Amino acid sequence: MSNQTNTLGKRRQRSTNLAALVFLLPVFLILTAFIFYPIVDSFTISTYKWNGIAADKTFVGLSNWSKLLGDREFWFAFRNNIVIMVMSIIIQIPIGLAEATFIEFAGRKATVCKVLWFIPMLMSSVAIGFLFNYALAANGGMISAVSKLFGGGNIDLLGNKSTALMTVIFVIAWQFIPFYMVYCMAAYTNVSEDVYEASLIDGATKGQYFWQIALPLLTPSIKSAAILSMVGSLKYFDLIYVMTGGGPGTATELMATYMYKNAFVQFNMGYGSAVAAGMFILITVLSLVTMRMINGKKEV
Amino acid sequence: MKNRMKKITALGLSALMCFSATACGDGVQETPQGGDEPAEASADNADSGAEAADADTADTGSDSGDKVITFWNVGTEGADKETYEMAIRQFQESSQSGYTIENIPTQNDKYKEKLVIAMSSGECPDMYTTWSGGPMNEYIDSGYAQPLDDLYEKYGMKERFMEGALEQASYNGQLYAIPVKNISIAGIYYNKALFEQCGVNVPTTVSELEAACDTFLSNGIIPFTLANGPKWTGSMYFQCLAARKGGLEPFQKAAAGDGTFEDESFVYAGEKIQEWVNKGYFPEGFNSMSEDDGQAKAFFYTEEAAMYLTGSWNTAAFKTDSEDAGNDFYSKVDWFSFPAVDDSTADASILCGTMGDQFISFNCTDEKLDAAFEFATYLSSEETIDYMVSASLIPPVTGVEEKITDPVSKSIIDAANKASAVQLWYDQYLNPTVANAHLDGNQEVFGLTMTPADANKKMQEAQAEYLSGK
Repeated sequence: MSNQTNTLGKRRQRSTNLAALVFLLPVFLILTAFIFYPIVDSFTISTYKWNGIAADKTFVGLSNWSKLLGDREFWFAFRNNIVIMVMSIIIQIPIGLAEATFIEFAGRKATVCKVLWFIPMLMSSVAIGFLFNYALAANGGMISAVSKLFGGGNIDLLGNKSTALMTVIFVIAWQFIPFYMVYCMAAYTNVSEDVYEASLIDGATKGQYFWQIALPLLTPSIKSAAILSMVGSLKYFDLIYVMTGGGPGTATELMATYMYKNAFVQFNMGYGSAVAAGMFILITVLSLVTMRMINGKKEV
Repeated sequence: MKNRMKKITALGLSALMCFSATACGDGVQETPQGGDEPAEASADNADSGAEAADADTADTGSDSGDKVITFWNVGTEGADKETYEMAIRQFQESSQSGYTIENIPTQNDKYKEKLVIAMSSGECPDMYTTWSGGPMNEYIDSGYAQPLDDLYEKYGMKERFMEGALEQASYNGQLYAIPVKNISIAGIYYNKALFEQCGVNVPTTVSELEAACDTFLSNGIIPFTLANGPKWTGSMYFQCLAARKGGLEPFQKAAAGDGTFEDESFVYAGEKIQEWVNKGYFPEGFNSMSEDDGQAKAFFYTEEAAMYLTGSWNTAAFKTDSEDAGNDFYSKVDWFSFPAVDDSTADASILCGTMGDQFISFNCTDEKLDAAFEFATYLSSEETIDYMVSASLIPPVTGVEEKITDPVSKSIIDAANKASAVQLWYDQYLNPTVANAHLDGNQEVFGLTMTPADANKKMQEAQAEYLSGK
C-alpha cells in the first residue's frame, strides 16, 4: 500500500517538474537570448577593435579596458551619473512620499490630485523630452517668456554648461516623482488601518503618526525605492539623449550616452562594449554595496 | 539556508536590473506603463542596436531574390521628397528590369544613427545616401558599397556630373557613389531689405562684416541667426573662418598628420567666434536651439536677424516656406560667400561644403545593382533636373548654370564655378571620433566655456590618437 502511494507521489512530482519546465522554458530562453548572451557578448566584443559594421574584427586583448580606466570623459560621465543618482534620491522620493502622504490623509477629496500628479508617468520619455525642450527653449520658451515679462533677457538653461545638468535633473524628477508617489501609496496600503486608529485613540497627532509610526513602517519600501532610483539613475539614457544629446559640449554626458556615441556614432563598437561592460560592473558593485549597507544588519 | 537563497536571489536580481541598463535599457523604473509606445520604441534604437550588433557576420541580407530595391534617404519633405518620388515614377514607368523601388525616408539627424544600426545588424538597405567623407569610407571599408566604375561607363554618367562631385563620390581611386541633389556650400544668406534699411553693403572682408554687424546691433537687429544645438551649424563658422585665414592647407595637413589643429588659422577661427559671441552677434540662447525645428530660420523669417550662415540647401526651404506663407519674403533674400580675412593671402574663392549634398551608395550585386544604378540615373534625368532647378536646388550636373534663373541660386552657382577648391565639411571629412571632438569643443567655444586653444588641443589629441591607431 505504502509502496503504491510512493509511486503516485513520484508521478505527481514528475508531472509537477514537467509543468515547471514547460512554464519556465520560454522565460529562460528569452532571458538567455536578450540578457545573458548579450552580457557575455559585450564582454567578448570589448576585447576587440571593431567598427561595428565590418565582418572582420581585430583582437586587442585588454587595451580597451586600460583605455577605459584612464578615460577622463568616461569618469566625468560617471560623475554626472552619480550627481543624477544623488539628486534623484533626494528630490524624487521625499516629494513622492509627501504626495502619497497627502493623498493618504486627504482620502477621497484628493482624487483630483492623484490623477493630476500621475499624468507625467503616462507620457513616454521622448515626448517629455520634446515637451520640455520647447518649454525651456531659449527663444520663446516659458522660462524666457517669464523672464522677459520682468524685463530680463532670454534664459538658456539647456545650452548653458553650468545649468544644463540641473535642468535635466529637474525634468527627470518631474517624470519619476509620480512613480514614487504610487510606490509610497502602495506601501501605505500595507500599513494596517488598525495602527492608524490605535495611534489616534492614543492621542497622536497626524504629524506624530507620520513621523513616529508610518515612516518607520514604510522604511523597507523606501529603501527598495532608493535602490530602484539608484539603478535607474546610473543607467539613465533617454531624456538626456532627447534633450541635450550629452551637450553642451560634454556637460550632460552620461555613461549610457557615452557608450552609445562610441558604439554607434564614432564606429567604435569594441570600445563602446567596454564602456557597456564597465557600466555593468560599476552598477552591479554599487548596487550590491548599497544593498549590503541597507540590509546589512538584518542579514547577519 | 533561507538567508543564502535570499542573497543569491538578490544578487541575481540586481545583476539583471543593472544589465537592463547596459544592453536593454528599457527602464525597469517605468514598469507600470510599459515601454511599448511607438515613440519610445523608435528612440530606443540604441537598444535594439546593441542586441543586433551581436549578429556576427553582417551579411547582405537584402539580396533575398525578391524584386524590391530598398532605398534609404533623408528626403522626408518638400522638394527633396518630390525629387526622389519623381525619379521613382520615371523608373517604374520606363525600366525593363522588373524591379520596384521602396522609398524609406528618415529625418536627417536620426538617419545617420539608423543607418549604422541597420548595417551592424546586417540589415543594410540596397541603396542609401551618405554625405560622403569619413563615414562613407567607413561603410566602403566594411563592404557595404560596391565600386561603380563599370556602371558609370555603361550608363554614360561620368560626363553627366561635375568633376568635384565625382571626386567626392570616389574612394581610393574608384567611384563608390552617385552624387545627387544639391550643391551644398556654406555661405551667408542675407535680408536685402534690412541691409538697405541700415545702409549696409554686402561685405567683402571680415572687418566690413564686423562693421555691418555693429550697425545691425545698434539698430536692434540680430546680426546672425544661429541654432547651435546640433553643433554642426556652429562648425560652419569655424570652417569658413579657418579657410579664409589659412586656405585649405592647414586643415589638409592636420588631417593627414603632417600639421596640427593648433595651427594659427584654427586659433584665429576660435578666437573670432568668441569675440563675436561676446559682442552679441548671435541670438540669445543659440547654443541649445534646434536647427531641425527651424529655430534659426525663425529669426530670419521674422526679419529679426539680418544674416544666416548656413548650407545652400536652404534656398529651396526659403522659397517654399515663403510661398506657403504667401508673403514676399523670398524676394528679399540674397546670398554672398564668406568674406575674406583682411590681412590674409588665402584664396577667398575657396568654399566649404559638398558638391552633391547626398551620395547614393549601393549594397547589392549583379542584376539588382544594375537596376538600382539605372534608377539612380533617373535622379539626374532632364525632367528631374528641371524640377530640381525650379525648386531652387542646384544638382551637381554639368551645364546646370544655364538652366538656373533664380537669383539666389545664381549667386551660389557663380561662387561654385569660381571656387578654386571645395573644402568638405569637417564633420564629414574627419574620422567620426575626431569630428565629434571638434563639434563638442566648438560648441563649448561658442558657449564661452572652453578656450579656443583648449578646444583645438582636444581636437588634435583625438586626431593623433586616431592616426596612431590606424
